[in-house]
Amino acid sequence: MEDLPGYFNMIRIENISKNLGEFFLNDVTLDIEKGEYFVVLGPTGAGKTILLEAIAGIYSPDRGKILMDGRDITNIPPRSRNISMVYQDYMLFPHLTVEKNISFGLKLKKITTKEIKKKIDGISRMLNVRHLFHRFPGTLSGGEKQRIAIARAVVTEPKALLLDEPLSALDAQTREGLRYELKKIHSVTGITIIHVTHNFEEVFSLGDSVAVMNEGKIIQVGNPDDVFRRPNCEFIANFVGVENLFKGRSTVNNGTSDITINGIKIVSTACNSGDSVVSIRPEDILVSGNKIESSARNSFSGKITDVIDKGAIIKIVADCGIPISAIITRRSFDDMGLSRGMSAYFTFKASDVHFI
Amino acid sequence: MMAGKRISTIKVISIVVSLFLALFILVQIICVVTHTTFPALITSITSKEMQFAIELSLITSVASTILCIIISIPSAYALARYDFFGKNLISTMLDAPLALPPLVAGVGLLILFGTTSFGKALAEVGIVFVFTPLGIIIAQFFVNVPFMFRIMRGTFQGINPRYEHVAKTLGCTDAKAFWRVTLPLAKNGLLAGSIITWSKGIGEFGGALMVAGATRMKTETLPISLYLNMSCGELDLAIAAATILILISLGSLFIFERYGGFARVF
Repeated sequence: MEDLPGYFNMIRIENISKNLGEFFLNDVTLDIEKGEYFVVLGPTGAGKTILLEAIAGIYSPDRGKILMDGRDITNIPPRSRNISMVYQDYMLFPHLTVEKNISFGLKLKKITTKEIKKKIDGISRMLNVRHLFHRFPGTLSGGEKQRIAIARAVVTEPKALLLDEPLSALDAQTREGLRYELKKIHSVTGITIIHVTHNFEEVFSLGDSVAVMNEGKIIQVGNPDDVFRRPNCEFIANFVGVENLFKGRSTVNNGTSDITINGIKIVSTACNSGDSVVSIRPEDILVSGNKIESSARNSFSGKITDVIDKGAIIKIVADCGIPISAIITRRSFDDMGLSRGMSAYFTFKASDVHFI
Repeated sequence: MMAGKRISTIKVISIVVSLFLALFILVQIICVVTHTTFPALITSITSKEMQFAIELSLITSVASTILCIIISIPSAYALARYDFFGKNLISTMLDAPLALPPLVAGVGLLILFGTTSFGKALAEVGIVFVFTPLGIIIAQFFVNVPFMFRIMRGTFQGINPRYEHVAKTLGCTDAKAFWRVTLPLAKNGLLAGSIITWSKGIGEFGGALMVAGATRMKTETLPISLYLNMSCGELDLAIAAATILILISLGSLFIFERYGGFARVF
């Protein structure tokens, strides 16, 4: 901090709590940097939407404070925060045309009609919604509505853009397109984005940082890769879809741990003793027809019990005394001629075994 | 084959009953409007007394409807949007006039404005409700405000508060968000509520009778005129008043149905 005079986090959320009955926030603290694409991941009902609404100023928190650019904004109204929000269900004003929806925020500011026109033209070209200007929201598709909702939010040039499950209600193809547009908006405008989702894929494809939330609490913050590979609790591991999750007893020997699970011994480079839960990413497991000599400390043979076709990749589940899932490409699957009932070897490094 | 020819008794009975009900209503309306001849009807309607009744009815009903709108919008909004202490109690009280017979409501108003020091204080500054057209307005307001309130509450409850949230993040004050987003979205409910309140106001009798009395050419609205002329045998005038009331009711029903249906689109 000292070597960066004037440096501060763009948005700092300090110990925010808010109880709205069914939904609540419990002592949430987050730092979001300027220009960051920050994703908040959590299941339905985790309190993600209230978190965004608290940042936008819709609700004032029961406890804690929110700082923007070092200034306490906890008690200032939404209109003075210069933070835009896009809800999952778009919330386009049904009584206004697309054009009037997009220009809604600009008309509240003291700028000329000419300037308004220039700004809405620019954003509309970027999001490709120019041809929809005279339509009413009721006649548009989900993807079109979402693009207009984003245009309406971004055109006022806010300091931060809050997105509430922006891709969840869309079909796969539209979602892909919009994900690309979000990336583009982020890189072109450099705007700080806080994006809330329950889908881990969005974290990987968009996020610079991720915070995992459950039951109103932030349970892990980090870069997506870290959270994905080293979930700090069983909830996150289950939520982000870690398949190989095992409970066992661990003993530490010479800087490595031996974890005994159901009579099978797994070696990990991490040290932890006593009852533990470990995880191994399915893509970190090497599958081979014969036993291979390698530096990897863990190798088990087992009978393939399930083959799940996921398109370009195949998931193999085998019974090695413990159920091990591995993900391989379709090419390798075809080349090795694997099928259900066959035996294969499953090999992984001790450094890929994580305690959670 | 059997199924095609089989006649469902429940179908026949229910249709016949609904047919009789419709017929019963239609016959009544026809009875009223055909009781007198058309020229006699025209003469009555253009008579001085009937002109006065029409004018007074229009003025009082429009005034009471405006009063209902002014009071219902904020109270309906409060009960639709906010949680506060005593909300259920207030909600029940606001619905009460709906269950109260208008005559009883009228007695209550008469006592409030006629006997209490509050009423007397108002009378002293020139706001007299007892036996004046102002009393008609307050009676119509009191009896009909629950309709307006309930329609507006339902309308506001049907509008997602997130529209306002978005408007506020885009730069609106609370009041501006209400004015530019919520109120336009409530337009159809407001229209339907106003129509039904107005048409009920035109027909209001019991409450107005108690507070304002039935004085010819002074507090003589259409229903009061119908009552006065019926009781002294001026049948043509009574029928004229009844016919006008029927036309107003049917017209309002038509508009209400039309915009009530419209309201469901949003």
